[in-house]
Amino acid sequence: MIRTENLTKVYRMGEVEVQALRDVNLEIQDGEFIAIIGPSGSGKSTLLNMIGCLDKPTSGAVLIDDINTGKLSENELAEIRREKIGFIFQQFNLIHTLNALENVALPIFFAGVRREKRLKRAEEQLVKVGLEDRIYHKPSEMSGGEQQRVAIARALSNDPEIVIGDEPTGNVDTEAGNAIMDILEGLNREGRTIIVVTHDADIAARAGRTKRMRDGKVLD
Amino acid sequence: MIDKFLMAYRSIRERRARSILTVLGIVVGIAAIVSLMSVGYGMEEAITGELTAMADLISVMPGKITGATYVELGGFTDRDVKDLQRIGGIKDISAMTYDAVEVEYRNKRAPIFVFGGDTKELEGFYVEPVGLKEGRWLRENDYKGCVIGDRVANDFFDEVIQVNDKLIINGEKFIVVGVFEKASTLYAADVDPHIFLTLRASKEVLQTDEVKYIMVRVYDIDEAEEIAEEIMEVINDNHGLDDFATAMTMGSMIELMGDIFNIIRGVLVGIAAIALIVASIGIMNTMLMSVMERTHEIGVMKAIGAKSRDVLSLFLLESSMVSLVGGVLGCGLGVIVAKGLSFVASMASGLEIEAIVKPEVILGGIAVAMIVGVLSGFYPARKASKMSPVEAVRYG
Repeated sequence: MIRTENLTKVYRMGEVEVQALRDVNLEIQDGEFIAIIGPSGSGKSTLLNMIGCLDKPTSGAVLIDDINTGKLSENELAEIRREKIGFIFQQFNLIHTLNALENVALPIFFAGVRREKRLKRAEEQLVKVGLEDRIYHKPSEMSGGEQQRVAIARALSNDPEIVIGDEPTGNVDTEAGNAIMDILEGLNREGRTIIVVTHDADIAARAGRTKRMRDGKVLD
Repeated sequence: MIDKFLMAYRSIRERRARSILTVLGIVVGIAAIVSLMSVGYGMEEAITGELTAMADLISVMPGKITGATYVELGGFTDRDVKDLQRIGGIKDISAMTYDAVEVEYRNKRAPIFVFGGDTKELEGFYVEPVGLKEGRWLRENDYKGCVIGDRVANDFFDEVIQVNDKLIINGEKFIVVGVFEKASTLYAADVDPHIFLTLRASKEVLQTDEVKYIMVRVYDIDEAEEIAEEIMEVINDNHGLDDFATAMTMGSMIELMGDIFNIIRGVLVGIAAIALIVASIGIMNTMLMSVMERTHEIGVMKAIGAKSRDVLSLFLLESSMVSLVGGVLGCGLGVIVAKGLSFVASMASGLEIEAIVKPEVILGGIAVAMIVGVLSGFYPARKASKMSPVEAVRYG
């Protein structure tokens, strides 16, 4: 279970303080598929970064399975990101010098798994997202939809409980977007918690629950 | 681990031109160190080697050496030579004399230093290392024969002097029986501008009984210093002066040379070190640029679970691979340059200088390259590892 308690994040942009999140209290149950929607600047991505342990709150707390992530060291946070969470970005964020297989294997590499085992696991993930014929392709040789599927395979490579998508369909066409949502639904059916940020109402409609954000607050 | 190497290698290859330039910087730095040191050792070896071959020799001069200048205070007498013969441990003594006199060849005159001494001793001392170009060396009964240095033969007169030509030395006729080869640096000043006679002939020509130089050979090299002290005492007593004679062993000359070479080597290494510092700034610059360019990539790696340590080690590996390659190539180039330099130095000096590539210099060169790589890669790598994932991902 993921819970935020009075989660607040303040950014400093020069002299101006920007309140990205204000006292957000949100509970996400294990195995839930939740979509967070809202206009840009409403704090959706900031919230995802907090839940995904990429950033630390100014005040308040994020608890993942009752562990207060704010109290963890950098290394412990890296471990949570690696083992518990799979992150999917709008811009795919693949490493362009590595091919699909190596990109997917990267988180397993950081986990210290042996090469053979690692590549086998990575290959399985690529097969799972339907890219068995793109294994040795570089990101630049693939379409946006394919790249995003590689990114999903990468997010799944350490078998995380939670998959977080920051506008995962934002940079692909409708068809590819639907394919991506199909995959995410499948992951949800496997029992994984799926959290996506989107401003596409159709995409949001496929989630089990939708939360709307505005001005750093979650609306009820 | 293999994969880390692979990743580092890929990112080096990704920036091929810049990586090559960085490697080149290290190569030049290391090659400079290796080659300069190897040539330095070679030079030292060549010179001390020649001196060591004469280690049983003590040179006795009637004068003082202060710093690099020799001031002649007079000449030795026959009595001095006789007294030296009473000192124990001496194998043989050979007295020599020299002076500048007027020499005439085909109606041209020039002042030239004439050298006279025991023909056997002179042969061992000059003929063996330098060699004769024409003719033969003096015999003890060659009262009217002379052997001339290369410059005497070729430079001092309008016409080149050859064997069987006649010279008039201080009014007396002599026949040239031999001509020396052009001497190496070590001997050039002693041989090239001189005319050599037997001791008896030189005493006549120079009209003196004075001895200007005594060469003493000892049986036991370890006793050389003691014997040298004794020689000075005996001669100083004869002349009633405190420091009239200077007796120098080859050992003390080798020591003197060693000191000089340490200084030379220090200067050479200093120059090479500057090259290396420039190269290490190059590595740091390359790595900093690489970090900046890959800010986004670093953010992504951290977002998918890389620890700071993982990022740090990746970047350190990259910089140390660059510098290792640079180090190895630098050593290779250094050896080649050393061979080339020693060849040029041999040609220029006439000494046989062979670059000495010591294994510890090679290992040291590679080690220095690695240290430079790790040190100059550390700051950029640390900077990369400290980046916040959110900000890094957002970058670019």
